Amino acid sequence: MKRRSFFSWGTAGLVALCSAISVSLGAVVRFLTPSVFYEPPQSFKIGNPADFSFGPPTFLAEEKIFVFRDREKGFAVANAVCTHLGCTVGYFQSDQRFHCPCHGSVFNAEGVVQYGPAPRPLEWFEVTLTRDGQLKVDKDQAVPASYRLMVS
Amino acid sequence: MMNPLRDAWQSIVRRDPLSTDKGKSELVFLNVWLHIHPAKVKKDNLKVKHTFYLGFITFFLFLILVTTGVALMFYYRPHPPQAYQDMKDLQFVVYLGSFLRNMHRWSAHGMVICVFLHMCRVFYTGSYKRPRQFNWVIGVVLFLLTLGLSFTGYLLPWDQLAYWAITVGTNIGSYAPLVGARVRELLLGGHTVGESALLRFYVLHVAVLPAVMTLLTMVHFWRVRKDGGLSRPVWKLKPEKAARLVTIGASDTIAPLTAVPASKDKTYGLMEVVTGKPIFETVSMEEEEDTVFSYPYAFFREGVALLATVATVMAVSMFWKAPLEELANPAKTPNPAKAPWYFLGLQELVSHSALLGGVVVPALAVLALILIPYVDLNPSRRPADRKWAIRAFTLFVVVNVVLIVVGTLFRGPGWAWVPPWVHITGAE
Ligand code: HEM
Ligand code: FES
Repeated sequence: MKRRSFFSWGTAGLVALCSAISVSLGAVVRFLTPSVFYEPPQSFKIGNPADFSFGPPTFLAEEKIFVFRDREKGFAVANAVCTHLGCTVGYFQSDQRFHCPCHGSVFNAEGVVQYGPAPRPLEWFEVTLTRDGQLKVDKDQAVPASYRLMVS
Repeated sequence: MMNPLRDAWQSIVRRDPLSTDKGKSELVFLNVWLHIHPAKVKKDNLKVKHTFYLGFITFFLFLILVTTGVALMFYYRPHPPQAYQDMKDLQFVVYLGSFLRNMHRWSAHGMVICVFLHMCRVFYTGSYKRPRQFNWVIGVVLFLLTLGLSFTGYLLPWDQLAYWAITVGTNIGSYAPLVGARVRELLLGGHTVGESALLRFYVLHVAVLPAVMTLLTMVHFWRVRKDGGLSRPVWKLKPEKAARLVTIGASDTIAPLTAVPASKDKTYGLMEVVTGKPIFETVSMEEEEDTVFSYPYAFFREGVALLATVATVMAVSMFWKAPLEELANPAKTPNPAKAPWYFLGLQELVSHSALLGGVVVPALAVLALILIPYVDLNPSRRPADRKWAIRAFTLFVVVNVVLIVVGTLFRGPGWAWVPPWVHITGAE
């Protein structure tokens, strides 16, 4: 066999092997990526405006959100998931701040980090009124902390 | 007339009687389980103060874990909330269930401790040096696998402790640049710790990781043999000859064998006639006299280590219960929420900066560990010749221990500094 042809056969074989390996690896990663997530929906109804009182926010445990209702400003929904490592924060009426139990991050009433390792402010989600008069939260729609839904 | 019983016995065991030297050698090399040992070993390598048998103890703990783990699998369903109910059943209903669970849990903790101590032993005796560099690297991977097995096992009870430790732990990973969030999604099979995550952790814990661990352990042991057996104890190293490697065989310019000066020394190496330089250590005549048969000397000591390990784990499991908290509740984070203790050093770092403490520092630490044998080129294994290496490694060990102690004992609700002697009442 000529040296040249050995070289090109070897190269071709190597290229074929490498492509086979990369394709298989890709298939493995794709296989492990769920095509359907059986997880709670990102957008959901939380009930009638009248269900929510003024004053301290209502914590919805299942959805991990705080629903704020303010006499002048209306409704706002904050994510209870800490932006540091995902623990559930608590809202303390005494100092009107959110405290995270895991590594001590503290967020003010607007969700801005005041202390601790959290890198970003708490998220606020869009809340809208559906046709049947219920409040609907969409976790895919982040909004600024100043966002309010006015319900007369 | 042939005795049929003796005949049958000899069809199984073909060696000569153990009273003979030939029988002692054959016991080792005709037996698939024992032949990883050499027929003879250096007497000093058997000394407890050389290895503390930590590698063996780690391996025996792994054996206990496999045995008790398979037993637990008969009663465990990897799905919430049954997983938690099954834990309760094991604890209170299944005969010996609680004992087996305790054994599994305490051996897992023990294995993390022993693998770390074994690594320290290997470092302090300089046993990672030529020709053992690569076995050190395999060791680092075994260390990471040990942590991986502990971490995946931690979720399985599906209690509050499990749920939040894994929530925090996997979120640390998502700080890794570019791939972090994707890796977390693959690991959890979702975006939060839920049923897919439990199933994935289960499969990793009972099938994938143990299989990889078993294979790599085999490679690790094989390499110990092929790198010339255990390294010589440091106190046997003579200053002039320290870690000198004798190579035989042919180079391009010298004819094979003839160029090697006549000597009584023996070199163990490739048994085929080939060219090239083997890298094994030479055993001098005087050392040859220091060797003993593996049977019974080495086997006896390993047997004692095995018995002591099993006995200790059983004793501990009789008196101390593996913890089990309330059923996992995604809505309520316990305060403080702590990762398993061996990750609390990491959590302490993470409480200052998630990216630095959770990704950058650990990645650099693992890289540094792997590179040790390739960066430390000082050929001497004698402690007196490697003061700086020893100081640096000791610093690494001390920092690790301090961080873990701080995270475990000195952190209270909200990760605030709370010494263990201060009691907080009404903490929620
Ligand atoms: C599952 C984990 C491990 C097991 C079961 C294991 C087992 C063993 C055993 C049985 C030995 C024989 C001598 C002894 O008892 O010390 C050994 C030697 C050795 N181990 Fe490990 N080991 C593990 C992890 C590690 C780690 C984490 C390292 C280092 C990073 C390491 C590096 C070495 C080296 C270099 C040797 C040769 C030492 C010498 O020749 O003196 N091993 N190991
Ligand atoms: S998860 Fe909230 S501070 Fe770490």
